[in-house]
Amino acid sequence: MDILKKLKILSDAAKYDVSCSSSGSNRKGKKGELGSTNESGICHSWADDGRCISLLKILFTNYCIYDCAYCVNRASNDVPRTAFTPDEVADLTINFYKRNYIEGLFLSSAVYKSPNYTMELLTSTVKKLREEYRFNGYIHLKAIPGSDKELIEKAGMYVDRMSVNIELPSDEGLKLLAPQKNKNAIIKPMSFINTRIKQALEERQKFKHSQSFVPAGQTTQLIVGATQDSDLKILKLSEALYKGFKLKRVYYSAFIPVSNHPNLPALTSPPLLRENRLYQADWLLRFYGYSADEILSDEKPNFDLALDPKCDWALRNIELFPVEVNKADYYLLLRVPGIGVRSAKRIIAARKFGALSYEDLKKLGVVLKRAKYFITCSGKHYGIKNMDSSEIRNSILFSSSTNSSILDGEQLSLFSLYPQILPTNDVISTITGEF
Amino acid sequence: MIQYIYDGSFDGLLTAIYEAYYRRELPDEILSQDSPQQSLFIEKIYIETDEEKAKRVYTSIKTKISEFALRNCFYVFLSEREDRGTLIYKYLRLGWKVGKEIDQNLKNDIVLEVHKIRRQVVKEVHLLLGLIRFKQLNSGIYYSQIEPDNNIVGLLAPHFAERLSNEYWIIHDVKRNIGVMYNKVEWIIRDLNITGDIKLQDNEEDYQVLWKEYFNTIAIKNKINPKLQRQYMPKRYWKHLIEK
Repeated sequence: MDILKKLKILSDAAKYDVSCSSSGSNRKGKKGELGSTNESGICHSWADDGRCISLLKILFTNYCIYDCAYCVNRASNDVPRTAFTPDEVADLTINFYKRNYIEGLFLSSAVYKSPNYTMELLTSTVKKLREEYRFNGYIHLKAIPGSDKELIEKAGMYVDRMSVNIELPSDEGLKLLAPQKNKNAIIKPMSFINTRIKQALEERQKFKHSQSFVPAGQTTQLIVGATQDSDLKILKLSEALYKGFKLKRVYYSAFIPVSNHPNLPALTSPPLLRENRLYQADWLLRFYGYSADEILSDEKPNFDLALDPKCDWALRNIELFPVEVNKADYYLLLRVPGIGVRSAKRIIAARKFGALSYEDLKKLGVVLKRAKYFITCSGKHYGIKNMDSSEIRNSILFSSSTNSSILDGEQLSLFSLYPQILPTNDVISTITGEF
Repeated sequence: MIQYIYDGSFDGLLTAIYEAYYRRELPDEILSQDSPQQSLFIEKIYIETDEEKAKRVYTSIKTKISEFALRNCFYVFLSEREDRGTLIYKYLRLGWKVGKEIDQNLKNDIVLEVHKIRRQVVKEVHLLLGLIRFKQLNSGIYYSQIEPDNNIVGLLAPHFAERLSNEYWIIHDVKRNIGVMYNKVEWIIRDLNITGDIKLQDNEEDYQVLWKEYFNTIAIKNKINPKLQRQYMPKRYWKHLIEK
């Protein structure tokens, strides 16, 4: 089979993996070698679905011994199958990289023959890229659940990031849709990778030239909407993963029906709005200091699709508002809907030069049509008369329904709702919102 | 009213600011000589670029205000906005008054404007680090064309000098007829005009076809969203992309 056809099949099979980030690694280029990595990551293009293309995202092979109902590569699915050779992957990566099409490689695979066999193929490919082709760019490698930890250990020395996909948020879900997999086989490599990352960091402090191990950390992915799991359950799982395994990111992927398996829910379109709410809540966990139990509860285990989770939280805790922007500390400012990380930092910086007025806030990037209900400026309140949560809710929903059309089934832009989080190495630049 | 006219270089602008201080004049505008905003009815003073004077202003910004402020000035300069000279002048006058704290005073309209422009420049640099597309010429050189809003070839060069340190490459700003060239050791910026055909390496088109195939395959068909795509990757950059 020619390389063009292979690329088509094996990138088509990889496209449902959400992660394409090339961030978290900051490796300088070496004279005479090819490649470097950039701490904040670089997008090289945006596909027609609006997703960023940063890495060459391919499967090594789509031959699979598993038959997971949600997956397009399941053994019983009638699709063309093929496999790359390590040299083909290396040649594509190198030549795409030199033309600046990509930031590096994201290599994953279906499970061919056995988990160990597949993991060995992946490891030998990344080893080849690093040692024979002297490739110094970004590599994200999928760890195959069920493979020996010695193999994962070896691979981790060559790559920037590793991920193990949880896919389904609960054991019941796995039993129903992926009976050949179990939660333990997924959690075990994650726990192992986390231990090794920590160990490598400690060694790094003692010896300058110690071997690195997955310097950009590990991530995972969850499919949303293929099982009956509630949003609370998913969010709790993410929280546990961030705390327990120090994950860099949990990605959420709205389930796209790829088969008519009787155990799968009937969906007309992927639950994209729900996916977006999960990302917003995920942001609140990681950068705003919220806990999963604050965002959702057993009485209300699913997101309000009409309102973002931060606004929803504020309305349920309306007695804490309004807050005075000229006095409130950073963490309280962060809790105000319409004030993000960037604008909160700017407020703190700017108010040293005198009290801020309502107009000043607009200049600093505060979204006033949201924030006005929850703040006072030098004692003056610009929202509606009563601090009544249902009245404020109606008012917010009314004003947002008139000028934007959020439809279920539309890909939503996350970054228009929350500011991009910036590296904190440069204090002034963070305050002023520099990249 | 007084307008200062400088030669369009960064040193020229700094010289103009030097003169404004030592002549104790308060020019209302500082304009580049090619600026159409020059008025017949306003008194104009032509500033002769002087490296020594420029250097003194440069050092003074760095030590009396901050390095961050100096970078801000340079980025605003690279934005090529009509009013950049005047804006930088106003920003610096404020900076010499309040010192390094200036960049925290985000209520101030001048500071706010400077930061806004800086962000636009930095954003375009970051975007182009990804969107530049090299083609391999039959001489082996990797060659790319860009048409950025801001004059940023010099800000792009260090990244590629590090990344493609073992290749010859050229980034050609065809809008400004300048280019940055790298010879495996160092990079330089110079005037650049290419006449005649560009001859590509034999397998160059094969990789372009592979890339286009990849680009089309990777999009999820039930999520097609051209609006979002354009929001991240504005259409004016598509001309030099292989995949669009």
